Amino acid sequence: MPKNSFKTRLEIAKNKLSRKSLYKNKQSPSSIGTAFKMSTELVSAVVVGTIIGFILDKTFGTKPWLILIFFFVGVVAGILNVFKSAKKMQR
Amino acid sequence: MAINPMHQFNVYRIGPEIKLGEIDISFTNASLFMVISSITILLIFNLGSKKNSLIPNKMQLLAELSYTFISKMISDTAGSKAKPYFSFIFSIFMFVLFCNMFGMIPYSFTVTSHIIVTFVLASFIFMGVTIIGFIKHGLGYLKLFVPSGVPLVLMPLIVVIEIISYLSRPISLSVRLFANMMAGHTMMKVFGGFVISLGIVGGWLPLSFSVALTGLEILVAFLQAYVFAILTCIYLNDALNLHH
Repeated sequence: MPKNSFKTRLEIAKNKLSRKSLYKNKQSPSSIGTAFKMSTELVSAVVVGTIIGFILDKTFGTKPWLILIFFFVGVVAGILNVFKSAKKMQR
Repeated sequence: MAINPMHQFNVYRIGPEIKLGEIDISFTNASLFMVISSITILLIFNLGSKKNSLIPNKMQLLAELSYTFISKMISDTAGSKAKPYFSFIFSIFMFVLFCNMFGMIPYSFTVTSHIIVTFVLASFIFMGVTIIGFIKHGLGYLKLFVPSGVPLVLMPLIVVIEIISYLSRPISLSVRLFANMMAGHTMMKVFGGFVISLGIVGGWLPLSFSVALTGLEILVAFLQAYVFAILTCIYLNDALNLHH
């Protein structure tokens, strides 16, 4: 029965395909992208905060204070960044 | 010559020195490799789209595959509104990918292992996305910095934090690509140096290591180009579909 065997083969192939797509959904390449994103996001916000604090300190002449404040604000912003992308990942 | 793993990142001038006022704009090996990768991209996609046969040849297959890959990525991450920006994201992805891949050829130069190159790319993306956001939403784009449901007392602090988090985008985008490329290439050269210094007796272990590292680096080269493009899509999505 060539027709029947073709049908079963088609069924098996379809099954394989659906399983493959299921596997793909679980571990899509974009999740690797988000993982890479998280690693630098924390650091870069701290850097930006510190640079802003440094520039403001220079313009206002309040030497150590604004850089200290903006460093910690940058840390908070970095944590917020990671938090946001983690939330995006869960969706 | 001593084995210096950082020697590969040297930028030197090719041909005559050209000066525009105070700025040195001579043609360097970095510019040479940018030109090579751009010309290769143009050639591949010109040859690939020349003959539109139903059964594609290899070139056409390559062009069509990359087209559908990027187009699917854009529609997945940024939605249908981002379709007009396809060519922008496609050229960024292809440029970064080819620069990374040309860097994998021995004795070549990796353009993307220099922070200034990746930072210029990232800051142009950042400026472009910000301008698109202001064109699409007007001053309402500033709502991005004001999340809803925040008590009025905390508002100034939250706005400052949000602005810093927004400004950190180009830095995180550029540092990621630059650091990955530079670290990988330095590591490959260090292991290559071990092969020479350990000689024929002990050199086999680092040799096998550097073969494995080459494979890993090719993966990283592709993955970083992909991440660069997908983050551009995510930023574009934030600018096009404002929801806060």
